[in-house]
Amino acid sequence: MKSNHLNQWVVHTLFVISTCACLFPFLLLFMASFTDEKALITGGYSIWPEKFSLDAYIFLLKDSATLLRAYGITIFITVVGTAVGIIISTLLAYPLSRSDMPLRKILSFIVFFTLLFNGGLVATYLVYTEVFHLKNTILALILPGLLTNGFYILLIRSYFATSIPVALIESAYIDGATEFRIFCSIVMPLSLPILATIGLMLSISYWNDWFNGLIYVTNSKLFSIQNMLNRMLTDLQFLQQSDIASTAGASIPTDTVRMAIAVIGILPIFCAYPFFQKYFIKGLTVGAVKG
Amino acid sequence: MSKKMKAAAGLLGIALASSSLLAACGSGSDTGKGAEPAKGAKEEKPYEISMAFMTFSNLKDVGLVQDEISKITKEKINATVKLVPISISAWNQQVNLMLAANENLDLIVTMASRNYGSQVAKGQLVPLDDLLNKYGQGIKDAVGPELLAATKVGGKIYGIPSMRDLATDFGISMRKDLVDKYKIDLSKVKTWEDLEPIFKTIKDNEPGIVPLVQQNNSQTPALKIYNAQFDLLGDSMGVLADSGSDLKVQNLFETKQYADSLALVRKWYQAGYILKDIANSQETGQNLVKAGKAFSYLTNLKPGYEQQDAAQTGKEMAVIRLTKPYMNSYNVTSFMMSIAKNSGNPDKAMQFMNLLYTDKNIANLISNGIEGKHYVKKSDNIIAPVPGVTESGYLFNQWEVGNNYLTYIWEGTDPKIWDQMKAFKDSAVKSKALGFTADLEPIKTEVAAVTNVLNQYKVGLETGTLDPSLLPEFNAKLKAAGLDKIIAEKQKQLDAWLKAEGNK
Repeated sequence: MKSNHLNQWVVHTLFVISTCACLFPFLLLFMASFTDEKALITGGYSIWPEKFSLDAYIFLLKDSATLLRAYGITIFITVVGTAVGIIISTLLAYPLSRSDMPLRKILSFIVFFTLLFNGGLVATYLVYTEVFHLKNTILALILPGLLTNGFYILLIRSYFATSIPVALIESAYIDGATEFRIFCSIVMPLSLPILATIGLMLSISYWNDWFNGLIYVTNSKLFSIQNMLNRMLTDLQFLQQSDIASTAGASIPTDTVRMAIAVIGILPIFCAYPFFQKYFIKGLTVGAVKG
Repeated sequence: MSKKMKAAAGLLGIALASSSLLAACGSGSDTGKGAEPAKGAKEEKPYEISMAFMTFSNLKDVGLVQDEISKITKEKINATVKLVPISISAWNQQVNLMLAANENLDLIVTMASRNYGSQVAKGQLVPLDDLLNKYGQGIKDAVGPELLAATKVGGKIYGIPSMRDLATDFGISMRKDLVDKYKIDLSKVKTWEDLEPIFKTIKDNEPGIVPLVQQNNSQTPALKIYNAQFDLLGDSMGVLADSGSDLKVQNLFETKQYADSLALVRKWYQAGYILKDIANSQETGQNLVKAGKAFSYLTNLKPGYEQQDAAQTGKEMAVIRLTKPYMNSYNVTSFMMSIAKNSGNPDKAMQFMNLLYTDKNIANLISNGIEGKHYVKKSDNIIAPVPGVTESGYLFNQWEVGNNYLTYIWEGTDPKIWDQMKAFKDSAVKSKALGFTADLEPIKTEVAAVTNVLNQYKVGLETGTLDPSLLPEFNAKLKAAGLDKIIAEKQKQLDAWLKAEGNK
């Protein structure tokens, strides 16, 4: 009994240490964003800065209208993208999970195929700009994310196939429920863990997405927060590294601003994560076990 | 619910349709249609010229400026202009995709450092020789045949360099207050070695201030020392000695000049004159001076550098020029304007480009914005920021395009700056390979391998952090990675280029 107790202490201590090791960089980053630029250059990074300063945030908030707008865009695409994404994914995954569905194997293969091959960037770009004319529209930030998640569909399919007893569906059928009713009233409520998991994955990918903005959007009114921050960051890097920096004559925001950018970008999703985590683990493991 | 479902079903349909389209588009990407104006409507409707250029900041007022420019162009060449600013971070992707997808795009800023060579090779740019003869007399006069020739690929002109500094010299930029404090005689400094006593004075008397730092983390001190002695042919892999007068491509890292510059920098480093963590520091020299941590940095220069530097460091700077100005292909081709093959009307595009080099109003509009809104006039040729406006809605990087010599001069800069700049570029030592740009496509693998080796050693050696005795090891690894093959390929291309030049 006693050794058990000791073991627990050892294990807990190890976990506490590794947690601290994970949090440390974030803390450093967070504090650096509140440090005075000069102090950062002369004194280097420290957990407790020599001199506090809000300059970096003031720099970012100077154009707060743009920043808020970008935040709004990000929230919009995250909410809409996640909701529509879940609907599309489950609507495709559910039929695939039913063994009595005709052509099930072929359709599954088509979904699986998209995981292995894609048309490449130029072809994708052509489709979205020349066929759908999505360039510089908000749909350009949502649609590409919706149509490329074959992995999620297979994940949901496995969940449906393994966790929803066929007998349940049959009994509902006998009681007179339509396929639609079964899906909405029985299958969906029973699938909360996987829905939450996919929801979290989708929302993180929408929240973090900067690439679609990078290639499809030139209108600064449609910049999402990550896209905007990514642009600022790359511009900074370019200016600092090239020898035309001196020619550019622009005042360059610096290290502390980069830290502040990271903090602003990460914070909301950082706060949301713990609430999803419970489902997250369940949703991922359930599909792994054949039951 | 059912409404949602319908919407979802619709989206699903799009998903399936697009996936089949994706598959279909995999092979041929030239299916996009160019936005060619209807032939009949051309007489009445002015053609819209779209011009893509690089930006670092959010150009809020770009629409206003574009309308002002369009007023002039409508009258002169029956065309309007659409300015398409693209952030540097998105530049490579967006430009590649726009060119590949045949989007409407007439004029585009091209850069040697950003795929100019491969854009030409892929046929994405229009050869300009005929158009220049037809509509480009102003450009020819402003740029001159020598610089135009420097942009040739395979005997044809594909880009027109913007008229800016176009050459460079090298030296040191130092805090003037400290130079004055210790009564340092700048006229005594003739060579790089002469800088040592200055560094010593600072080190002995100013604790907390590092005598020498880097210009930025890719522009090392040693690079500034040896740079003017070679034509680096863009990437340091295979260079021409003697500022490009020698036409034998050789290995920079085996030359005496390279070893000498490393030895000098190493000496400074060991004496404690150079920032200890210089090899890892991401800070620019200007920032370090601004923060009061550094005294000086070696840098590339041009006329008017002092004022510009003072604006960035917030301190008055004293500059010593230690090399003659020189010019190579890279200086000329680093910013050019080209006509994209997507252009619906290359004639109009060239006419507009000609205006950029000849029309003072257009040159000023695009470089400085609108009078009264983005600047105020102080005198005939001098402008200043609008009083009370802290952030202009139009901050254009004028060195990218057109003829800078036509533009107004900002207050605080030497009023004669453009004359000086012209004299500077004319006096520059010109590399004999001016106009030669190597195509590294056939030796991609070697270039990647050699780049890895360079990343491993170059910064360490050139900042003095690593001992120069590593040089043989460095060279051995470069050879193993295929540097000789790169040199041979460059020599082959250079010889072919010289032959073609000679036959003209």
